[in-house]
Amino acid sequence: MSPRMSPRTRTQRALAVAAGVSATALVLSACSGGSDGEGGGGGGSDDPIVVGISLPLTGDFSEPGKGVQRGYEAWAQFVNEDGGLLGRQVELKILDDQSNADRVVQDYEALIAQDEVDLVFGPFSTRLVVPSARVAEEYGMLFVEPAGAAAEVFEQGFENLFYAAPAVADDHYNYLAEHILAMPEGERPQTVAVAAMDDPFAQGTAYGLRDKLADAGLEVVVDEVYPPNTTDFSSIAAKISDSGADMVIGGTQYQDAVNLIVALQQLNYQPALAAFSTAPTNPEFATAIGSKTEGILSPTGYTETASWPSNVDFVERYTALHGNPPGEDEANAFTTGQVVAAAVEAVGCAEQGECQQQLVDWLRNNEVDTVVGPLTWDETGKPQGAHLIQQYVDGEIQIVLPQDAQEADFVFPKPAW
Amino acid sequence: MPNASDTRPARRSAGGRASATLPDGAGALPAPVPPPARRPGGRVVRLAALVVGVVLVLAFPSMAPNAYILSAGIVVASYACTATAWNFMGGFTGYVSLGHAAFFGLGAYATGLLVRDLGLPSFVAWLVAGVIVLLVTIPVGIAALRVRGASFVIVSIAFVLILLLVFQAWGSFTGGSDGLVVPRPFPDLLRPEHHRVFFYLFAALLAVMLLAWWAIDRSRFGTGLKAVREDEDKAQALGVPTRNYKLVAYVVSATFTGLTGGMYALWFGDLDPIFQFSIMLGAYMVLMALLGGVRHLFGPLLGAVIVGTGLEYFKLEFGDTQFHLVATALLLGLVVLFMPDGIIPAGIALLKRFGPQDSSIREISAAELLERNRAAAGGPAAPGTGEDAAPRPRTGPDATPDDTEPSEDDR
Amino acid sequence: MTGTLLFQSLVLGVLLGGLYALLAAGLTLYFGVMRVVMIAHSAFLILAAYLAWFFNQQTGMDPLLSLVITVPLFFLVGVGMQRLLITRLRPVTLTMMSVLLTFAVALFIEGMIGFVWSGTQRRIQLPYSGASIEFFGARIAVVKLVAFGLAALSLALLYLLMKHSRFGQALRATIQHREAAQLVGIKTDRVAGYGFGLGLATAAIGGTALSLDATIYPSLHWHWIGPLMAIIVVGGLGSIPGAAVAAMVLGVGQSLLQVPLGTTWAQTIFYVALFATLMLRPQGFFGGRLAQRF
Repeated sequence: MSPRMSPRTRTQRALAVAAGVSATALVLSACSGGSDGEGGGGGGSDDPIVVGISLPLTGDFSEPGKGVQRGYEAWAQFVNEDGGLLGRQVELKILDDQSNADRVVQDYEALIAQDEVDLVFGPFSTRLVVPSARVAEEYGMLFVEPAGAAAEVFEQGFENLFYAAPAVADDHYNYLAEHILAMPEGERPQTVAVAAMDDPFAQGTAYGLRDKLADAGLEVVVDEVYPPNTTDFSSIAAKISDSGADMVIGGTQYQDAVNLIVALQQLNYQPALAAFSTAPTNPEFATAIGSKTEGILSPTGYTETASWPSNVDFVERYTALHGNPPGEDEANAFTTGQVVAAAVEAVGCAEQGECQQQLVDWLRNNEVDTVVGPLTWDETGKPQGAHLIQQYVDGEIQIVLPQDAQEADFVFPKPAW
Repeated sequence: MPNASDTRPARRSAGGRASATLPDGAGALPAPVPPPARRPGGRVVRLAALVVGVVLVLAFPSMAPNAYILSAGIVVASYACTATAWNFMGGFTGYVSLGHAAFFGLGAYATGLLVRDLGLPSFVAWLVAGVIVLLVTIPVGIAALRVRGASFVIVSIAFVLILLLVFQAWGSFTGGSDGLVVPRPFPDLLRPEHHRVFFYLFAALLAVMLLAWWAIDRSRFGTGLKAVREDEDKAQALGVPTRNYKLVAYVVSATFTGLTGGMYALWFGDLDPIFQFSIMLGAYMVLMALLGGVRHLFGPLLGAVIVGTGLEYFKLEFGDTQFHLVATALLLGLVVLFMPDGIIPAGIALLKRFGPQDSSIREISAAELLERNRAAAGGPAAPGTGEDAAPRPRTGPDATPDDTEPSEDDR
Repeated sequence: MTGTLLFQSLVLGVLLGGLYALLAAGLTLYFGVMRVVMIAHSAFLILAAYLAWFFNQQTGMDPLLSLVITVPLFFLVGVGMQRLLITRLRPVTLTMMSVLLTFAVALFIEGMIGFVWSGTQRRIQLPYSGASIEFFGARIAVVKLVAFGLAALSLALLYLLMKHSRFGQALRATIQHREAAQLVGIKTDRVAGYGFGLGLATAAIGGTALSLDATIYPSLHWHWIGPLMAIIVVGGLGSIPGAAVAAMVLGVGQSLLQVPLGTTWAQTIFYVALFATLMLRPQGFFGGRLAQRF
């Protein structure tokens, strides 16, 4: 065994290193140089308008992520069927960010800087919206997003961001809070149990309701937070069951709501009121919890029976395309498309650069008619509307609040599950 | 003690005489053997390769066609830094730590929290974070280094997992799963410029690490570490202070990893426990270092370039499947089974297969060696070799077919 | 914390501990037999859970029936893994390289699961998923009870196998001292292969039990490998009874801690126990003669 490498090996090693490094650098520049041509920024008037989007098609948020994808694709299809945007066809370029915050940044960076897309739409989930909005902001792009509703999105100082839904997370449950507090003292629930995922949106909705109820004198007996990848809810359910709270609020996404409810069922805990965010709007929710959905409440920004003109058209065409009416995620995505399209048509351009600031300014000062109603925004991008409250009544999702949008009577107390 | 198989050139004696001399009673030293001819300019080639490498790195931001490629380059540079930092421990001592991302995350969060909560200037916070990681690693290292081998791997994985849990649960302090936003150090820079600056910063950090690795490699400390790698018990028996050396290596490795994490936090700006304390990151570090070759200075860098660009490419093209996991798995399996010393030695071995094969270990034949040794021992008597002073050669023209005396070669 | 809550947590802890015990037994078996740290064990666990879910989805039958297929299948895969992969590694660096190799296998399985069934979270919905039995004031979910029963039965069978069969004796001999076993005439290579297969078979059973009440997704195995490795170190590497005892202790501890501290902090108990073991008694607390240090 020689004490040091023979000179031959060393030379070969050095050569190998040099060769490897040069080769890699050459390959990299060649590869990227090649794909640079594809991007084709806003040039000819017959070029398709390319919209860049990153969505969680796999990972924690993949269920609603796919819903958003369907919504965007439906929008693109209907727009193209109707003659396109500014006379040009619309093309979507969708990348998968695997529900990862660092992936979403790289995706939007690639879409904007490398593929040179003309417009961008936002991703799904507040957690992913904040980092991706920053990328868009630093490239000067308009950023309309369908799903970042938590307060912190609007506290970052973004100037190009608009949320395409009626209300922010904190205000999702406003109508429900009002209704509960309007009940007579004897009938009203007295104690509340809260379990929320450590996610800005989920917590936003749950804590919005919790705080309004607590301010009015209800007692919060359980207040739990769990990380997003939690699947075992036995102990949280045990605590809630043991407390015997009249009402349970779940700040949830999808699977965690299912798991929590099953765990509560296993302990035979029967609340008078149960409100969960997001999950009950998913079509598979009912089977997942054994069809014991009666009386479960959820806030929703969208209902397919709403009579806004663009909504009637949307529901009809979407049902023809997919065989079932669109859900909230699809509608939020569609709304995003509508908002951007309105700005583009009004301003008359769709490309990177100066155009983006013009789009931003137009949206700041105008109202857009969408499938969730007319939308306007304040200077941080917050919308000015309110969410509806839906409930499972007789096995169907019905709007129960506010009174003027009501489709069925509010069910209280909740039947046993 | 010299023997007939010695091919080393004769050393100068204490008295400074150049010719071979006989120490008392020992066998003859062979005459100085001219060393095998060096490839002329071997050193020049190495230097040239280094210069080319440095020029490529410095020119990369200008060569990159758009800001996305530049940001991908920064990701690769950060991988190179972490892999090289890991290699301080894995390469020198042979202790494989799969949970090294723990230090990455600690450095990142420490920097972020110092900037956000204490308002320190970004790079001061970065250095302070490095010091914090250093201090934290000392007790952790003392605990973890009580075991070896597979248990050490288990402990390293446990460490990163426990940090993941703590940082997720302690939401009020770390932001939990909501993430931690790290303010930009240069808020007025445009995004492409921001990337450019940080590419150079990462490259500078890498250069510092490579320098440190090179210095340790040549030092006594480094030799002690390599002794630990080869056989820890024997090293300890020989008097190498293994416990202290291992701890120092671990702390150095952790500190560099923490500094890389802090730099990453300043560049990326958004931290989430799931990505900063991820076992996958630890696995990539190991894969890159192993692939490139843990014993070489530039091994981890090479591994990082290969794996890092591959990963970015895969994630961008095939993002909607788990294919990149399968690819990583196959590559890691391949490296472990067939190329455990890294791609460079494997590549060299493959190339050698096509060249002239070495037929024996030595470059001179046994007969010649014997001649030489006999000539050197020729003058004064060689008592150590006794009756074997003038053995008859078994092969060659002088061989006696029925000679049954064992020749020196059989020893 | 009320009395009922405490008791409820205790019951949950025992049920959980039983499942941990089965899973840890398999993991420690690989180490005992071949000094291999099999990181892929929990990946196989999740794979078995996915197979059970897939079986239930395709046929509508109870997932427990899938055991008929998965147990022999995993046994064969285990033997194959040992013969084809592990033995290829150089003995000098066996432990280290086996960690990396099994790590690669775990990644491969995770990738393939995600590829075939996508990253969406899955949960089996059974008619009795929400049912529970009353037990002195605590409610035990039927599915958890079934999982516990399965785990207990398997451990009992494992115990009988190890103590009262020829193969079990050969296995224990190989674990205790490989060279001595060889000298006595035991074909240690073959026994090691079967030991591996046995370990994977326990993963099959454990995974099916898990699938009854858990939500599964491809990267779930990382969630399990940490606690399982901590359990086997605390119990003593290579010792099955040690692993079982450590699993019960830590499982109950985790469940009890969940009430005051919350789910996430409670999970740290495994790692705290691991570090305590390292500092105080690196060969584990419950292992006895079979426990290895490293």
